[in-house]
Amino acid sequence: MSDNLSELLGRKGIKDNLFNKMGELAKPEGAPSDDELAKLANDFLIGTANTFGTASFYDFLKPENKGKKAYVCNGTACVCAGTQDNVIDMLKTKFKAEEIGHMTCLGRCHENSAFHYNGKNYSGSALENLNTIIVPIATGTESELNQDSYSVKASGKPILTEAFTNIEDYYKPFKEALKKDSAKILEEIKTSNVRGRGGAGFPMGMKLQFCRNEQNDTKFIICNADEGDPGAYSDRYLLEQQPHSVLFGMLISGYVTHASYGIVYIRAEYPEAKHIVQNAIDELRSEGLIGNNIDDSEFNFDFKIIQAQGSYICGEETALINSIEGQRPEVRVRPPFPAQKGLFNKPTTVNNVETLSALHYIITNGGMAWKSIGTERSSGTKLVCLDSFFNNPGMYEVEMGTPLSVVVNNLGGGFKSNVKALQIGGPLGGLVPVSKIKDLTIDFESFSKEGFLLGHASIVCIPEDYSIMKLIEHLFDFASYESCGKCFPCRLGTKRGQELATKALTSDYKIDKTLFTDLLTTLEQGSLCAHGGGIPLPVRNAMQYFDDELKQYFN
Amino acid sequence: MTKNAYIDHQEFEIVEGETILSFIRRYKEKNLIPTLCDAPNLEPFGSCRVCSVEVALEENGSVKTLASCHAPVAEGQYIYTSTESVKALRKNIIELVLTDHPLDCLTCEVNGNCELQTVAAQVGIREVRYPEGDNHLYRMKDLSHPYMTSDLSKCINCYRCVRACDEVQGEFVLSMSGRGFDTHIIKGLDESFMDSDCVSCGACSQACPTSAISDVFQSKAIYATHSTRTICTYCGVGCNLEVSTSNGEILSITAPYDAEVNQGHTCIKGRYAFKFYNHPDRLNSPMIKRNDKFEKVGWDEVYEFISSKLSAYKNEFGSDSIAGISSARCTNEENYLMQKFIRTVIGTNNIDGCARVCHSPTALGMQRTFGTGAATNSIDDLKDTNCIMVIGANPTDAHPVTGAKLKQFAMKLDNVSIVIDPRRTELARYATHHLALRPGTNVAVLNMMMYYIISEGLADANFIANRTEGFEEFKKEILSIDIDKLEAVSGVNRNEVREAAIAYASAKNAMSFHGLGVTEHSQGTFTVMQIADLALLTGNIGRRGVGVNPLRGQNNVQGSADMGVQPHQGAGYLDITNDDVNKKYNAFYGVDVPKEIGYKIPEMFDAALDGKLKALWIIGEDIVQTDPNTKKVIRALEATDLVIVQELFMTETAKYADVILPGASFLEKNGTFTNGERRVQAVRQVVEPIEGSKPDGQIIVEIMNKMGYPQADYTPDGMLEEISQIVPFFAGITWDRLGKNGLQWPVAKDGTDTQILHKTDFKRGKGYFEFNAWEETMELQSHAKDYPYILTTNRELEHYNCGAMTRRTANEELLQDDYLMIHPEDAKENLINEGDYVCLESPRGKVDVKARITDEVKKGILSTTFHFPEIMINNLTGDIHDSEAMCPEYKVVAVRIRKSKGKFKKELV
Repeated sequence: MSDNLSELLGRKGIKDNLFNKMGELAKPEGAPSDDELAKLANDFLIGTANTFGTASFYDFLKPENKGKKAYVCNGTACVCAGTQDNVIDMLKTKFKAEEIGHMTCLGRCHENSAFHYNGKNYSGSALENLNTIIVPIATGTESELNQDSYSVKASGKPILTEAFTNIEDYYKPFKEALKKDSAKILEEIKTSNVRGRGGAGFPMGMKLQFCRNEQNDTKFIICNADEGDPGAYSDRYLLEQQPHSVLFGMLISGYVTHASYGIVYIRAEYPEAKHIVQNAIDELRSEGLIGNNIDDSEFNFDFKIIQAQGSYICGEETALINSIEGQRPEVRVRPPFPAQKGLFNKPTTVNNVETLSALHYIITNGGMAWKSIGTERSSGTKLVCLDSFFNNPGMYEVEMGTPLSVVVNNLGGGFKSNVKALQIGGPLGGLVPVSKIKDLTIDFESFSKEGFLLGHASIVCIPEDYSIMKLIEHLFDFASYESCGKCFPCRLGTKRGQELATKALTSDYKIDKTLFTDLLTTLEQGSLCAHGGGIPLPVRNAMQYFDDELKQYFN
Repeated sequence: MTKNAYIDHQEFEIVEGETILSFIRRYKEKNLIPTLCDAPNLEPFGSCRVCSVEVALEENGSVKTLASCHAPVAEGQYIYTSTESVKALRKNIIELVLTDHPLDCLTCEVNGNCELQTVAAQVGIREVRYPEGDNHLYRMKDLSHPYMTSDLSKCINCYRCVRACDEVQGEFVLSMSGRGFDTHIIKGLDESFMDSDCVSCGACSQACPTSAISDVFQSKAIYATHSTRTICTYCGVGCNLEVSTSNGEILSITAPYDAEVNQGHTCIKGRYAFKFYNHPDRLNSPMIKRNDKFEKVGWDEVYEFISSKLSAYKNEFGSDSIAGISSARCTNEENYLMQKFIRTVIGTNNIDGCARVCHSPTALGMQRTFGTGAATNSIDDLKDTNCIMVIGANPTDAHPVTGAKLKQFAMKLDNVSIVIDPRRTELARYATHHLALRPGTNVAVLNMMMYYIISEGLADANFIANRTEGFEEFKKEILSIDIDKLEAVSGVNRNEVREAAIAYASAKNAMSFHGLGVTEHSQGTFTVMQIADLALLTGNIGRRGVGVNPLRGQNNVQGSADMGVQPHQGAGYLDITNDDVNKKYNAFYGVDVPKEIGYKIPEMFDAALDGKLKALWIIGEDIVQTDPNTKKVIRALEATDLVIVQELFMTETAKYADVILPGASFLEKNGTFTNGERRVQAVRQVVEPIEGSKPDGQIIVEIMNKMGYPQADYTPDGMLEEISQIVPFFAGITWDRLGKNGLQWPVAKDGTDTQILHKTDFKRGKGYFEFNAWEETMELQSHAKDYPYILTTNRELEHYNCGAMTRRTANEELLQDDYLMIHPEDAKENLINEGDYVCLESPRGKVDVKARITDEVKKGILSTTFHFPEIMINNLTGDIHDSEAMCPEYKVVAVRIRKSKGKFKKELV
């Protein structure tokens, strides 16, 4: 978080972007060289320590990434499914061990066995055709085996999952909106009471209003497409299957906040999504729907895709802003909020993919139409992802307020094998024992009341035979590996949590329960952001609901 | 309506926008809330979280835990600083920190002065409950650098060093690398301090709460027994220094956070380059040269020798056969005494100082335009300006603390910064507009700027009408300048000039800063007047955030002129030729002083060569190395019967002396220095003068007494009492009133000082517009054909002026040589490779200097420094000087170049 770096890195605008350049330079070898980093530093008037420090942060820019060729998914769903040891063994027939790296959640939670090779993700039965997939990159042979399939269904009226028609029809409401007062459009968004789908549930209309209130010639709309929660692939669905819903939402956000730049920050683990969204942007350009003076409205807007480089914390909005700038993606203090001082110190709105996708329905049908769906405080529909332990794995659109049991049993068709708990909302979400399924409905309030978190609403099953202590170890390990390292509690606490769990699992060491709860409280109260602050929730759930299983590890 | 909030149930008034921490610290003791990542000169960061407090919206309501360092306070908040849960949180955080920190406090450099130690004690840590896990205690020390050290096993990842390097110095040498538990400090591309781009300002060392980053002087160790606040001797910024001593030995220097000038910051010279003070080379006895050899003599003998000689010359050849050069390194009081000695005891106005060769055109030019030859505003005004124009100055090297502030300003995209300089200086890299003009064409470019301001209708008509005179004539002349010609000679595209002019004129508040790249030219005074006219033209005078601000070079060059070290003006800039002034001086000094203007420094040399100068007394000024045309200076010294040099070291000049007087360094005496913003600050003695030396002021007092003038002993309060009676703008200055941060003159009798000059009126009444056309310097008119390259001169951060002091510190390990900047194409054409010796030849002489190939200079332009006597670059510089103030033209020298073997390098040694 450096004001100076934000200013300096903003000098070249968004087009000539340091972070994208680092990504390009990393492509041939897996990491930019020191000379390249020094040259970039000179070009951008910053220190070599800054470019080096940034590169060292990311899985796919850091020096250790040099020479990596294939990456195995180690997200929670694949880990719990127990498929990944086999993936590694199979890949070892093609690569040296040091050529195989990890990626955390490729969004293939519905069929597992996921891995990444040469810009594409593979899963499920693809492993059986390794000989077709792993061909020398130089041959230029394109494998089609990266396609996967999963159920997509809406329990009620399809809104986010409604089939795309064509550009002309789809953007008609946008053109009409451009003829109206942007304040009125914003009112519709506020009326809808659509809340952020990234996890925090903040009302989108208020966020846009804050940005609109700022006086500045330069403002940014950022789409947070860094869907890092293992188990979640709803954003991936929207980016790949409904890219125009995302772009539409960004255009409207730009119109109501007077922003002219839209940035889609897409995680490296979704390589296909980047191409699909870029194609959609190109379509908009050829249709004259972006650029200057769109449809004679005097509204200017253009898009830029920034490809992330492997870091879960970049889903946190201020870390994401730092990431786009090319700074180390460390979490910033708030205030100032991004609406006041965001990307390159300019007013910025950051919204999740799914939140933005809601705007097409709201602008087309009015805020009341969205508001009338769902519950009093959680309006609209929500996408829910089910992993491979369900009989019908896939992505479901449900109205807010739908009982969790309906999702699990009716849509998901129940479990294939015995499951003892559901991790809902990613690693920072709650751990719901199956006994609590009946008490929950899909909305922010129900989860919070019961001591869980709706979050992004991905559901990962914890099988009956999977050790809860191993899960705790996995969660701390994940949190520690992905901590930005800025605040003391998270940097040190997640590491010590993992060490305590590992020690208890691998020796006769018993964890001091007071120490352990002190650690959880320190993380909760002391952490700068929801990363360190969130990890204690599933751990506390585990301790509450799986006390019997865990007590052997504590004294 | 005041707004209030509650601290532990007690109601206090809040300040809108402040953090909870600053709110609490205003009313409660500082250590009520422990902090680690917070620092007085850094933005809130929120990493350590030990400042956490609990906040409720109603009394005893449900609480939220907030980090007080960055959470803003709000009306009606109930803040609980010390609940059991908050105390537990702090303790648990520190416990985590100690799982990755060596517990070797007793042998640690900062034992007793470690913020982690203090906070750990405060939160009551008694044990670390975690089993041993991964840690970073294996990290090795970095002892590569002559000053900076690191021991990152002690690092707690508070980022204070990283932020200091960024927010204070703006250098970005430090950052973090890796992430999560692996996050660690790096320098540059993960290299050592020595290999990195570190500028050794020490901001990181001072910021570090532990010993993770420190310095070789262990400045955070507590073995010092005394601490003395004084003023740096190295430049006109006037940094306050806190000097630690034990048993009369200086241990280390830090920068006080409450210093208005430098707010806890200083540079490599101020912080680290102090070891010259007791260097074995220090002169430690008066000496008289007999048979070409210096013989040590006693003070009585040397005083007897000097007084009898001077009396004899005075009787035989008249008072004007004697001259004095005083020192801008010395205190105001010493400068006052020296000019008083020359005027009253000797009876001549042949007194001058180094301002002659640096900022004499500034004093003269600003006097002509405004009436006062000093900075109109203060550096603090940077907080309120929208535009800076930096012309002929490289402050990040020569005035590092002000330079860092200017760089901080220039980095912000909404600010406008204009750099006018032949070289792409560090500031120019960041500037909105860089006008890279050919040396010697300042007047051309400034006239173009004023042409565009007037023709674009951007002149401030109201200000011009109410506060200035001479505009109509000026306007007529400006509008008739030949833009084609000026564009061609300056080499700067007219549109670039126009844009910069519009930017300056359109800014709400615009400040200009200038250095020797303005003054050391044949049209130096005219350039200063144009900078002043630019301010008049746009109404940028008389309020905060505007003005004309010369970056004065030597620490007390402002003060030496203020005290009368000038041949035409006495103490307080009073005109010595004026009858009333003369009467006033005669009455005050108790003897008659002369009314005829005396010699300026170059005239002293001419007089010597004419046989008219018999004695020259030089204090703290190495004229052989630093004045132009070295060979001529040497001939002049050789032609003078008695050369007295009062010095710290055997400088190049001292070698030509007949008498040596060992003076004292700034660390060994009391007095005052006046910085570039007219701030008179107290210099306090840190240690006794080394054995055999004396404070320079005391030496002058003793010779005055010896020669029959009753002058009281040198004491700062006594001297200031005398000065305040004769220098009008010192009227209210007393030693006791100076306090920590000094006073900016003029100071009224009641002690009220002045941050901004010319608020309602100019000293001379109206601001004066005077047009002066650009003229090619005679140097190029006469020699450009045979000597086709232009050599200009610059400064390096590590060294100061002739280097007599800095070369006797570890700064020499960081920069061992002068070098020549040469454009890649010029190098190629002359078959010169990086590091080759280049023979530079001017009509005056030859020197060899090593090449550094860089596009910081344009083709045809060369630049070098004169910090090292081995090079003696002033063998090349000539006699051309400013037409008005006689400041030599160091900045434009016609030369030719060729690759060489270095044989002219040591010609003089």
